[in-house]
Amino acid sequence: MVALVRPESWNFPLFLHVLGAMVLVGAVAATAIAAGRGTVLRGIAFRTMLFLVLPAWVLMRLAGQWIDSRENPSDDATWVGIGFVVGDAGLVVLIGTAVLAWWAYRHPERSWPGRAVAGLASLYLVALLVAMWAMTTKPD
Amino acid sequence: MDTYDWLLFLHVTGAFMVLGGVVIAVVFNVSALQRERPSEIALLFRLTALAVTAISIGMVLTIGFGLWLVAHVDYGWGEAWIVTSLLLWVVANALGGIGSNRDKVARRLAERLAGEGDAPNAELSARVRDPVSLALNWGSGIVAIAILALMIWKPGA
Repeated sequence: MVALVRPESWNFPLFLHVLGAMVLVGAVAATAIAAGRGTVLRGIAFRTMLFLVLPAWVLMRLAGQWIDSRENPSDDATWVGIGFVVGDAGLVVLIGTAVLAWWAYRHPERSWPGRAVAGLASLYLVALLVAMWAMTTKPD
Repeated sequence: MDTYDWLLFLHVTGAFMVLGGVVIAVVFNVSALQRERPSEIALLFRLTALAVTAISIGMVLTIGFGLWLVAHVDYGWGEAWIVTSLLLWVVANALGGIGSNRDKVARRLAERLAGEGDAPNAELSARVRDPVSLALNWGSGIVAIAILALMIWKPGA
């Protein structure tokens, strides 16, 4: 039970990592909800991607690297691998979603970009849930 | 996965629902502040209410599985970080609950005005920008972040 014997120096990077992940989850969910509500909220979806999702990803990822350098877990550990995949591959998904959100905002007459943003954001939300499970239970 | 893993996963899931829900509420609440048409404000307040549901479920998960964890791991019930977290949990619920009830009044007004011509209305604008409601809602979110900090640092453990 790592949580019970965690050294003091791990706490601040862990706090930033978890806070970033929580903001990321909420912001991605808000994007999915806004993008899936027709054209009226597409501006909110795009601005949320730009001003909340991407900064939260940066905080989560950088603080994750920081805690990784302190904790120094085995590179072969499954939970570390899941975290890196969801984090790093997730950035590609998020940038693609942000571009689509901008496209959806600029072209309100087209319905598919909004649906695509809602779909991608929902998919990434599931990936974040898997990562949260892996970070919490730390399977070998 | 042993019992500890399950309890921790469900407890943390609840925490993500709470703070994730707070972020969703902030997004739609801030967007409502920038609108004047009652129909748009009503839609954004309905979405904020969706976030409040997620927060409420998360609050139940955090307290339920949190207390179970305390018993399972043999933390002391009187430890400062546990007692403070429980107090802050009550404060967060109280602030959020009162703020959410005030928002409900604004949402109902917006829905009524949307059905009566959907024209901008001074009373609705004042209710949406009500500093007391904003302070209660934002205060509740800040208290939730303070609880997260306590969970990580566990002062006195």
